[in-house]
Amino acid sequence: MLAPEMYEFRNLLAEKGILFCYSGYMTEDVLSGIGQAIRMKLELENADKKIARSVFSLFVEQVQNVIRYSAEKEEFIAGTVQKELRFGVLTVGHKDGSFFVSCSNLIEGKDVSRLDESLKHIQQLDNDGLKKLYKETLRGETPEGSKGAGVGFIDIARRAQKGFEFDFMPVKDDRSYFSIKAYV
Amino acid sequence: METIKIAATDRSPEVEFDYSLNHFALRGESYPENVNEFFGPLMEQLEEYFETLSGAEINFVFELIYFNSSTAKILMGLFDMLDEAAERGNKVRVEWRYEEDDDNMEELGEEYGEDLEHAKFILTKVPAV
Repeated sequence: MLAPEMYEFRNLLAEKGILFCYSGYMTEDVLSGIGQAIRMKLELENADKKIARSVFSLFVEQVQNVIRYSAEKEEFIAGTVQKELRFGVLTVGHKDGSFFVSCSNLIEGKDVSRLDESLKHIQQLDNDGLKKLYKETLRGETPEGSKGAGVGFIDIARRAQKGFEFDFMPVKDDRSYFSIKAYV
Repeated sequence: METIKIAATDRSPEVEFDYSLNHFALRGESYPENVNEFFGPLMEQLEEYFETLSGAEINFVFELIYFNSSTAKILMGLFDMLDEAAERGNKVRVEWRYEEDDDNMEELGEEYGEDLEHAKFILTKVPAV
């Protein structure tokens, strides 16, 4: 019953146009490996270079978000170094003439309203508005609790030529499941 | 100061800082695992060095293929640093090279360049690889 079950799973992914799917702990090595495979696949498909660059960029920003912020994590000490593994689900695909990149992960319930507000704000900005906010954020202080530039989502909005969608679903232990999908 | 030369990797750019000629360049991909670890010491040293210069000719070339948003923040600081060096009386020339079909990289260059008030900015189209 192994093959039928996995074949069904594979077909489900194929129906959704999914070319790459990864569910598990995201690490920088995973990012490097999948990133290279995505670039190769887009090259093989003769995807427009501009589209290929955007897809790759959306992939990097989304996966780095999971690596840094997913609330589903394991921490451990390796030698003297504190290490952590963070869990997320990534899909990259092509359907109805658009490429898409999507990531999903748990977040703390207390972070939902802040993230929801900032994503809604970004979503309704036009190109000039996004550019302005991007530059302001690059110049500004790093937001509290942020480990990156804090510009990742603005970058996603700028690269997603066909827009992006996102939502949240409350799950147990005051946590929510967060999902974002960007289209090119 | 000694010339710094770091070879490019899949995820970090080639760094060439020739302090004797004041020629500096970053080329390639930039989405390192930890941007601060990669760029922090380089940027600190550069800033200290620029503060010692006056009336010098400084050339900085950017030839980037892809960079992530964390790198974008480093670049913003670097452009400010270069503009400040120009404001202090150095002759600073910043060149942003982009592949001819890469509108996005051209646009990013324009966005950085438009904030330079004292340094000279040049956008250069190079053939796509």
